Amino acid sequence: MNSHKVNQIEKLGVVDDIKWEKLRKSKGFKLSKVKRLIKRVILYAVLIVAVLITIIPLWSGIMSAFKTQADLSLTSPIAPPLIPTLEPFIYAWLELQRPLINSVLFTTIATVISCLLGSVCGFVLTKLKFKGSKTLFMLFTIGIFLPYQSILVPLFITIRNLGIYDTMWAMILVHSVYGIPMTTLLFRSYYDSIPESLINAAKTDGAGVMAIYRRLIIPLSPLPFVVAGVFQFTSIWNDYLFALILTGANFEPASFALSNMAGGTETAWNNTMAGTFLYSLPVLLIFVLLGKYLMQGLMAGAIKG
Amino acid sequence: MEQVRNDIDIIEDFKFEEKRKISKEIRKNIFSRDKLIIRLIFITCCILLAYFIYYFIVWNIFVSMTDWVGLIQTYDFVGLENYFRMVNDPIFWISLTNNLVFMLVFIPSSIIIGLFLAILLDQKIRKEGVFRTIYLLPYALSFIVTAYLWQWMFIEDGVINFILDMFGLGFLKMSWISDPNIALFSVSFALVWQFSGYIMLIFLAAIRTIPKSHIMAAQIDGASGFKLYTRVIIPQIKTSTFTAFVILMIFSLKAFDFIWILTDEGGPGWATAILPITIFKVAFNSNYFAYSSAMATTLLLIIMVIIIPYLYITYRKR
Amino acid sequence: MTNVKIRNLVKKYGDIYALNKIDLDIKDGELFILLGPSGCGKSTTLYSIAGLIKPQEGEIWFDEKLITSAEKKYSESPQDRNIAMVFQDYAIYPHMTVFKNIAFPLQILNKHREEIKKIVIDAAKSLGIEDLLERKPKQLSGGQRQRVALARAIVREPNVFLMDEPLSNLDAKLRVFARAELKRLHKRLGITIIYVTHDQIEALSMGTTIAILNKGKIEQVGKPSEIYNFPKNLFVAGFIGSPPMNMLDGSLKKDNGNIYLDCGFTEYKLPNELHKINNEKHKEIVLGIRPEDVFISREIVNNSVRAIIDIIESMGREFEIHIDVGGKILISVLRKIENFSIGDEIYLTFNDKKLHLFDKKTGENIFASNFND
Repeated sequence: MNSHKVNQIEKLGVVDDIKWEKLRKSKGFKLSKVKRLIKRVILYAVLIVAVLITIIPLWSGIMSAFKTQADLSLTSPIAPPLIPTLEPFIYAWLELQRPLINSVLFTTIATVISCLLGSVCGFVLTKLKFKGSKTLFMLFTIGIFLPYQSILVPLFITIRNLGIYDTMWAMILVHSVYGIPMTTLLFRSYYDSIPESLINAAKTDGAGVMAIYRRLIIPLSPLPFVVAGVFQFTSIWNDYLFALILTGANFEPASFALSNMAGGTETAWNNTMAGTFLYSLPVLLIFVLLGKYLMQGLMAGAIKG
Repeated sequence: MEQVRNDIDIIEDFKFEEKRKISKEIRKNIFSRDKLIIRLIFITCCILLAYFIYYFIVWNIFVSMTDWVGLIQTYDFVGLENYFRMVNDPIFWISLTNNLVFMLVFIPSSIIIGLFLAILLDQKIRKEGVFRTIYLLPYALSFIVTAYLWQWMFIEDGVINFILDMFGLGFLKMSWISDPNIALFSVSFALVWQFSGYIMLIFLAAIRTIPKSHIMAAQIDGASGFKLYTRVIIPQIKTSTFTAFVILMIFSLKAFDFIWILTDEGGPGWATAILPITIFKVAFNSNYFAYSSAMATTLLLIIMVIIIPYLYITYRKR
Repeated sequence: MTNVKIRNLVKKYGDIYALNKIDLDIKDGELFILLGPSGCGKSTTLYSIAGLIKPQEGEIWFDEKLITSAEKKYSESPQDRNIAMVFQDYAIYPHMTVFKNIAFPLQILNKHREEIKKIVIDAAKSLGIEDLLERKPKQLSGGQRQRVALARAIVREPNVFLMDEPLSNLDAKLRVFARAELKRLHKRLGITIIYVTHDQIEALSMGTTIAILNKGKIEQVGKPSEIYNFPKNLFVAGFIGSPPMNMLDGSLKKDNGNIYLDCGFTEYKLPNELHKINNEKHKEIVLGIRPEDVFISREIVNNSVRAIIDIIESMGREFEIHIDVGGKILISVLRKIENFSIGDEIYLTFNDKKLHLFDKKTGENIFASNFND
């Protein structure tokens, strides 16, 4: 570690020999090996305790999902099952099968729509700047922070009047529209970093707006598409509020169906946990496959909820 | 160059459209397919947002000034009556207080734990990536999922009470979410669990963007360990702290699904009913649409008071 | 084959004039240089010609075709102007190979595949980058990128070739080479090139015509030799030439049929032709003299000024001598300096055939005694 530091310091050229000697003799470097070791042990201990606290609810939930009702009352909640069973999963799958397919459908469609729209809006707001584009962007951004409770009643009435209450179209429409502010923000911040001269070059090379978008902007933006896509997919998939008021028995999204299944009079915890696990599976899958891009998305100031 | 950039106006083209006397050449220029499609999509988005956000807000404010009850739309205009009713309604004040208490517990805890984890992870930890992923895991899960997990943790014969027993701390056992006195704190704890990994990530990213030379200069000047953080690093991540604060603040004002499920619609009683929960219950359980709209408008107002200065500060810099 | 005509071009940003009534006539086949300090409006002019900027007033014509008219609210979009532009950062599309970069303008025109291939390879050969066609921009050096940008510009066979400081990102050695190459390219294609730069050496060595801009206005338009030898005003005189022209403030004095410049510390006798200048009208005068026209000697000669050598800088091929004349420093550039050294007392003379007199108030050149050119 020391030599690493030396290298870096030399590279930066910020230190001369005398100062370096001072640094070497300073407190941080003088710690004896034992002290250093104790420090590291405590450090790792704290980190591992934090890991345990993070993991326990998940661990316990997964274990319970593999237990029979009898097993659940016999074993401790954090112990593995005596006889692992898939019964809860089968039960949950039968209950959630249809809603899960529903959710996959509208989530995918709404994700694609809101990403495409966000990409166009981001492009227009950065590369075709016009008077008022900053204000317009601000008005878009406010949409991210909108508490949906404050528009639920008008939304509810509108969806009913459109005759799409309790259908897939309601979910696609609502999620596509309310996804636009977030996707626009993500695409805009990415397109901001594309140099203006590239756009100008394309213009003088004879490309029109559409050609610039299709041949230059789209090929340059696989990353924001992944980031916005993952972000939209997870937040639409996880939505509960819209599902609660805009759907009923006809078109149940998975989130709504899960709460119906779990919210019976006598909670069967093994089934509930198996249900939550099934419900989380698509998002976890995407997270595993595209996780590193999502990190960048989260970094971009993304907000959940 | 900056000026050049600002100058490429499409609005000027829109202005053309308004001019009646335009030559054929110009007409061809504007309605050429290639510009039209992009603009049509953009304008459609603007219209959709204008309708689904801004028109709905206005509509909602209008509803809040009527006496609309039930599913049939018949109502009279009653002015601010619902707002007067609201300020005299103990449920509203309980919800607002719940919101406040929740914020006061949830926001500082998340920031402190997140920052703490970020600093720990910044100590050249082996397998840092693994730790980071694990800490971030809860944030990746849906609120519905974590709500059920924590219900399982919090119930009388749930995981927490079991673990307390296991360590001989049985006297600490509590009815975590069915005791109205502590339910709100249990809810906050669970949400801190879910959010601190994300906050950690924000801070970690910020710490990593501090130029290495700054840290080295500080080390040469004799700052090390704790001092290095309090004097050099933490002051440099002010912006991220601010961002984290706003994110948490907005969430704590909007939070719905997690609490709705965890404490069964804000129970016991109104113990964990924060404003969004109360609004929803008043509207869709009791069908007092007008009255709930009044509360919703109030919530919107509170959020805008926070968000508009934030956006102003963030984007004015650019 | 295009003449470019600019009339009364005005561009304002807020209250600041980026362009203030610019008129330019750029003839077919010229390598026309827009030269000036940063913020002078040269890039704004170029971007207006490209159609990337819309001016508030004025017109731009390509031959007989009006392409921009603020008054008629008409601006042909850049893609329809058949121009090509090379940008300072080259603006190479990062996701495309060199081949695709060069082919891009042709693909936009929906040309046939085989035809595109032929044109691209020809262009690449002419710039010596045919081996790089499959590379991505990341794998190219600065010089190679610049060639790719040039190749992309020439495949369109544009009416006008626009260049925005295309050499400023190259290192000094490469720049000299690239200058010559651009000149060759211009000669071969015979196309109109409008070239923006802040580097006077580039301007003087490459341009067939130079327009000097300052604060949104044109100071002078002319051939490089005209600009150098007959600067129209103090700005041009001071901007062109390195080291810059020496300037002496003073007033004119007529006496005995002779005319003198009174600088306070000395009176310098000016050539007799200057007699016709009205010394009542032009009270305060600036005398400009280029460093190569300042001579020094050890002995008093006719009409010389006593001075002291302040610094001698060896530039290798020549010497720059800073001379202290009554507290004012003048620079002389000499091939040989014999054995002068710092602190020596010497006598200055000016080449009377290369004097420039400017009115201090207006900055206008009122007399230029250039008899050689």
